[in-house]
Amino acid sequence: MKNISWWKWLGVILIVYTFLAGMLVPLGHGIVEINPRSVKTGEQAQFTLVGYNSHYEQDKDGLRAWLKLDDEHAIGAKEIRVKGDRILELDFDIPAYLPVSKRVQDFSLILDSETDGTAVLPTAVLVTQDSIDEEKGVSAWKNSAITGLTVTTGMTFPFRAIIYETIRNTYFHVALWLSMMLLFIAAVVYSIRYVRDPQPIWDSKARAFTSVGLFFGILGLVTGMIWAAYTWGKPWSNDVKQITTAIALLVYLAYFILRSAFEDPEQKGRISAVYNIFAFVLLIPLIYVIPRMVDSLHPGAGGNPAFGSEDLDSTMRMVFYPAIIGWALIGAWIANLQYRMDAIREKWIENLD
Amino acid sequence: MKKIIFLTLTLNLLLSDVLFAQDRTPDFMRSVGKMYVVVAVIVAVFLGIVLFLTYLDKRLTRLENQIHDNDQKQ
Amino acid sequence: MQIFKEIGVLLNKELKLEWRNKYAISGILLYVGATVFIVYMAFFEMEPLTWVILFWVIMLFASVNAITKSFTQESKKRQLYFYSLVNPTALLLSKVIYNSLLLLLISFLIWGGLSLFVGNMVVNVQPFLIAICFGSLGFAVTFTFVSAISAKTDNSASLMAILSFPLIIPILVTLVNLSKNAIEPLASEGVQGDVTMLLAIDLIVLGMALLLYPYLWRD
Repeated sequence: MKNISWWKWLGVILIVYTFLAGMLVPLGHGIVEINPRSVKTGEQAQFTLVGYNSHYEQDKDGLRAWLKLDDEHAIGAKEIRVKGDRILELDFDIPAYLPVSKRVQDFSLILDSETDGTAVLPTAVLVTQDSIDEEKGVSAWKNSAITGLTVTTGMTFPFRAIIYETIRNTYFHVALWLSMMLLFIAAVVYSIRYVRDPQPIWDSKARAFTSVGLFFGILGLVTGMIWAAYTWGKPWSNDVKQITTAIALLVYLAYFILRSAFEDPEQKGRISAVYNIFAFVLLIPLIYVIPRMVDSLHPGAGGNPAFGSEDLDSTMRMVFYPAIIGWALIGAWIANLQYRMDAIREKWIENLD
Repeated sequence: MKKIIFLTLTLNLLLSDVLFAQDRTPDFMRSVGKMYVVVAVIVAVFLGIVLFLTYLDKRLTRLENQIHDNDQKQ
Repeated sequence: MQIFKEIGVLLNKELKLEWRNKYAISGILLYVGATVFIVYMAFFEMEPLTWVILFWVIMLFASVNAITKSFTQESKKRQLYFYSLVNPTALLLSKVIYNSLLLLLISFLIWGGLSLFVGNMVVNVQPFLIAICFGSLGFAVTFTFVSAISAKTDNSASLMAILSFPLIIPILVTLVNLSKNAIEPLASEGVQGDVTMLLAIDLIVLGMALLLYPYLWRD
């Protein structure tokens, strides 16, 4: 037990923590669906709402709901009837005129519960106007301001429509992919060391880290496809990030094909190290810049390919960052086994002569 | 423009999901808030690691055999 | 200023070599002509977007064909002779300059050929010219460097394709994005960003190639 280095233990502990926290922390309060989805102006609309991880029975008096148009315009619920822990009936008076000139306006639903916290369903209801009069809508608007939203203190992961519990995949799919980048960076660092000082150990380290990185990349692609099949509807939707990842994997597969083309270990190490550095530099625009230029199904698309602050709250960060480090350390462990094996072969071949 | 495309896309996804959810009971993978998708992802990661370990095991066995054969020749 | 002199001499050598073996350049000309004609036969009429994408696809294959031979046309012994005489940076730079000029010529030929058979779809000439110039430079640097790598192996032609196609995609995507502005009458505000991006990729790739080539060439 003592001969296993501290960082391997750290990796194991971080992954165990990722599994425990990632699976045990519940999802926050959310709205699964609301019915009907579209109403007309001037109606007394009655909606049925299905909640997620909610305890409405315990919280009969602490419930408040709004239909929100924008920051200045919201309609408060006239009455809320609790039909079960997860089912509510909401009554709203939709005004006769809306303060917009559009025929169809979408409203998001905000539901505040004192025990469970606030839930938001974006574009929950579409309101159709029979006759449009923006000025009348503005002047007759009775705003009910959204104030005093409950701030919950418990540990929960954010609820997102369609994604639901699969938000936990962040710690497996996304973290795995980011730790792949860390492994590729390690491989490039060893390639640079080999180019400057051609010791066989640097080459076998670079090779080992690249192979584990490639392996993590394939895992990231496969897990992403499983996740996509149940959230985007199909495993492969020609999303930019799927394509760029596939290209990155091709680049690294080519690295191994290039290695197999050489007999002489010195030439193999030197040329593959040069290719590795060159390829990594070209991957930076591929992975970090092109996804910003094209629309993507991935969160934060059309500007930022990374997780924004809205997608990753502080509770998720507490699991997400350890998960990245944990997976990277596990990958480093696998790479460690590989280059130690190479070192043994090296030594054995030396002793033969 | 990009924003609009993205918004309509998400809106479509959202609406279609809700519309379909109404007239069909969720299948096994989609039940319990799609929890089994997480299970499938974790199983895939584990199987991947097992496959990689098998590959490493094979390489190690080959090296062991090489060293063993050579020792016997001497 | 030794290096500029060396580049000049090497560039002169490349040009003379090309002039003497006329089959290489005429082969590329024939390739461009034949491909453009095949494209014309297959489509007759096409959308502007198809035109732009086909332009860059023809350009991609023509450049691979033109550059693959960069490091293999000279025998190992003669290369050794060069290495003993000149600076590796000068050697790579001369090849990059020569290849980008060649690619610039090829791209104008493709543009001319496509205009002749299919019609000229370029409405905004300026962004398209920028795309052609920076595209030729980016293609030349990447393919020259990859051909330097693949020339070290036994089957350099197939390795050239395997190594270079995935690597060229960032440049290709940016080029297609930039050229989309050229076929629309009103250039969108994205042109500036695309040009900066393309220039940045070109410079980074050029810098890396110059930095790494000295480690690659000695054998």
